Amino acid sequence: MALLEAHGLHKRFGDHVVLEDISLAFPAGRLSGIMGPNGAGKTTCFNVLTGGVRPDRGRVVFDGEDVTGLPPHAIARRGLARSFQLMNVFDEYSALDNVQLASPAVRARSFDMLHDLRRDAGAQDRAAAVLARVGLRGKEHVPAGRLSYGDRRALEIGLAVAAEPRMLFLDEPTSGLGADGTARLAELVQELRRVLTLVVIEHDMAFLFRLADRISVIHWGQVIAEGTPEALRADPWLARAGLGGAI
Amino acid sequence: MDLLVTLGPHLLNGLALGLLFALVALGFMLVIGVMEVINLAHGSLFALGAYVAVALVSAEGGLGVAVLGPYFELPIPARFVVALLLAPVVVAGVGMVLEVCLRRTYGRDPLYGLLLTFGAALVLEELIRLVWGPTERFLPVPASITGGITVGGLIYSVYRFFASAFAVGMILLLWLFLQRTRYGALIKAGAHDSEMVRALGVNLTRLRLLVFAFGTALAAVAGIVMAPIWGVRPHVGVDAVVPAFVVIVLGGVGSFWGAVIAGLLVGLVVGVTGAFATAWSLVSMYILLILVVTVRGRGLLGKKSVLER
Amino acid sequence: MTAPGSRQLPGWGSPAMLLAFAFFGTLPLWIERVGLYRYLGVEILVWCVFALGFNLLLGYTGLPSFGHGAYFGIGAYAMGLTQFHLVANLWVGLLAAILAAAVVGGGVALFISHRRGIYFALMTIAFGQMFFFIASKWTSVTGGEDGLLDIRRLPADLGPVAFDLTSNLAMSYFAFAAFVAVTVVLWRLTHSPFGKVLRAIKQNETRMAYLGYRVVAYKWASFTLSCAVAGLAGGLFAMAQNGAYVQVMSLQWSGVVVLMTLIGGGLVSFWGPVVGTVVYFVARDLLGAYTESWLLWFGLMFMLVVMFKPEGVAGLWQDLAARRAARRRARTGALQPAAGD
Repeated sequence: MALLEAHGLHKRFGDHVVLEDISLAFPAGRLSGIMGPNGAGKTTCFNVLTGGVRPDRGRVVFDGEDVTGLPPHAIARRGLARSFQLMNVFDEYSALDNVQLASPAVRARSFDMLHDLRRDAGAQDRAAAVLARVGLRGKEHVPAGRLSYGDRRALEIGLAVAAEPRMLFLDEPTSGLGADGTARLAELVQELRRVLTLVVIEHDMAFLFRLADRISVIHWGQVIAEGTPEALRADPWLARAGLGGAI
Repeated sequence: MDLLVTLGPHLLNGLALGLLFALVALGFMLVIGVMEVINLAHGSLFALGAYVAVALVSAEGGLGVAVLGPYFELPIPARFVVALLLAPVVVAGVGMVLEVCLRRTYGRDPLYGLLLTFGAALVLEELIRLVWGPTERFLPVPASITGGITVGGLIYSVYRFFASAFAVGMILLLWLFLQRTRYGALIKAGAHDSEMVRALGVNLTRLRLLVFAFGTALAAVAGIVMAPIWGVRPHVGVDAVVPAFVVIVLGGVGSFWGAVIAGLLVGLVVGVTGAFATAWSLVSMYILLILVVTVRGRGLLGKKSVLER
Repeated sequence: MTAPGSRQLPGWGSPAMLLAFAFFGTLPLWIERVGLYRYLGVEILVWCVFALGFNLLLGYTGLPSFGHGAYFGIGAYAMGLTQFHLVANLWVGLLAAILAAAVVGGGVALFISHRRGIYFALMTIAFGQMFFFIASKWTSVTGGEDGLLDIRRLPADLGPVAFDLTSNLAMSYFAFAAFVAVTVVLWRLTHSPFGKVLRAIKQNETRMAYLGYRVVAYKWASFTLSCAVAGLAGGLFAMAQNGAYVQVMSLQWSGVVVLMTLIGGGLVSFWGPVVGTVVYFVARDLLGAYTESWLLWFGLMFMLVVMFKPEGVAGLWQDLAARRAARRRARTGALQPAAGD
């Protein structure tokens, strides 16, 4: 059963057609991958699915509900969270404060103008638990702006996880990470996939091929191939296009 | 039909205003295109142009008559031409100083640049008040372009014709500059891409400085030509930046002829409102801004413009 | 779970707050001895209230409003008009001032809450100028350019006891009481979840949207609240000045509150606006003795602050405190980085 589906997405910016008749399906409980070269339309596709961009044609259906063209906050509230490739955290806030903001429980009280969050032990503990999960135990009170690159990446994902989503989109999560960081990230992803449906956009094909159940390849604004990592690896046409072959 | 005819002089007024608004807006837009800086002080530089012109043309304009006595014996048309040439240069100088100040805000939260240019607008208005006083000033204009001509029982202002023709000339010159010269090409390409510009061997710092000077000089010229129409008061600065912004939102950031057409529309609205209630013509600009921003929303292609950072 | 060594702030205040209260509470007693005058104390307190409310919008939410003088003015007019046409009661007047400014501000906010940056700024200028124009022309209601005159300082009637506020001393204390109330309320608000959300919106509005927050609603609330506080300040001002004048709605005065708030350090500190207001009035009275154009110098100072130290006076103070804390930590050999607040 597909948790998220896209049907016939079409998007043009001026003269440039960025997405052409893209249809995708992301089954619940699976880790799906999206790959493709730069400028292929991956990012736009991602933005359409998460609400940042409205498609010219086509539909997006999340858990049976048509969410096409809904703004980001509406889609997020329905349980679809995303992380960003260019890091998008709250630099002035500590890691703990960052993650607290993402929690739906805190969001529900966000018009509370009287109380002090620091006195809410429950909120603090939940946030600390998320940080521990992404490997930031002990760094709760470091301002996000002062974390190392790898830690900021972890926080970036932590923010999306703290939103308690049903489905999590990771946008190029290995960006800028070295071998250690990537290994750490792979472990986290393996842990997350047990409870969440994941969609990962990646350049690092080794990473994606190791973890994904199914991968969609987007090029020239279209889905040019789709299948399990094994199937794609064996695909000669993809190999010639430089995608998938040399792993 | 009768109503339309009586509107004649007001339409002409609107045309002149519109073309001048377009000129101001184009200067504003050049700066945005190259540097992504929204200069709230652009209007103040428009006003400064008018005031410097007053100093250069009018004997009571502020320059020491005793010192420059012989100059003020030149006929008004000569002094007017001097003002049209010299005042924009002076204002461009001030513009360059502002650009240097702005350098410290590049790359940071755009809020700082906004605050800085707002501060500059206030400072410039106070400076004007200090040097020239708070009361309205008067810019003498060559007799050949004053007065009125009667057409069909209505009186049309000669100066408005001159202003319109002058503005058209300036707009065409600007267009030629952007189309035919190397610097123009750079500017048109929205040359805020440092990599590309440096690869072409152009000094980005100097380019920014020159574009700023150029943009503010355009504002100053518009300010001078507008002076007899709008009056010369310290507050004119704020009143000038609003239509510039409306024009750009309407015409699209980066569209030359879009700005011209939008300028004409805005000018006509202001001019025609002036026909019915003079006091309301300035306010109509503010109302127009509110309407345009509310309705226009995101802008043209769903793409974010630099105005939305 | 809190950071080791962090100050566990009492929920309703802080040491700085007590200091501020002590300073302003005793001000009427010593202000004349330093060569200034009682009324200045009233003015400073009223503008502190205005600036504190304004900073909710600028410093906490990151939204630049260059037309806030309009709501200050609306509060002042509401105070006077209630007194003349409705009922001559101080509390009703102040309530009217707050509500009028909040309602108008809330209406304006509907147009601008989904904007930021230059769009937001220019819209606030447009609305501000529009209200300024209306106030200047609607002579029958506002008195036009002359203003609404003869607004009385009505007694503060608390039932069993009523205070006559005609003297500047009494007015000082009343203004101080308002200052205390507003400070405590805003302090609580900025430390609440709502305050936290505002600061997050300032840092990263996009991310907040993707985290499920309807950002427009928070921006609307921030704007409307800041207008309500501006209205209160305006009502107090009308009392203090015995009149409501259109000039406060001009771009100049709207600009002054921006200058004050930023120079004082509103972008990084709750107390920034208060510091900035004091700096402004001291500058006005000291520099004003020497030159007519002291606002020009103040504006230049503002530009320098934005260029070189946008965190303002409070920012300088925080730097000093951080450096002292770092030296202390180096001495004791602690390894934890400082917790931010």
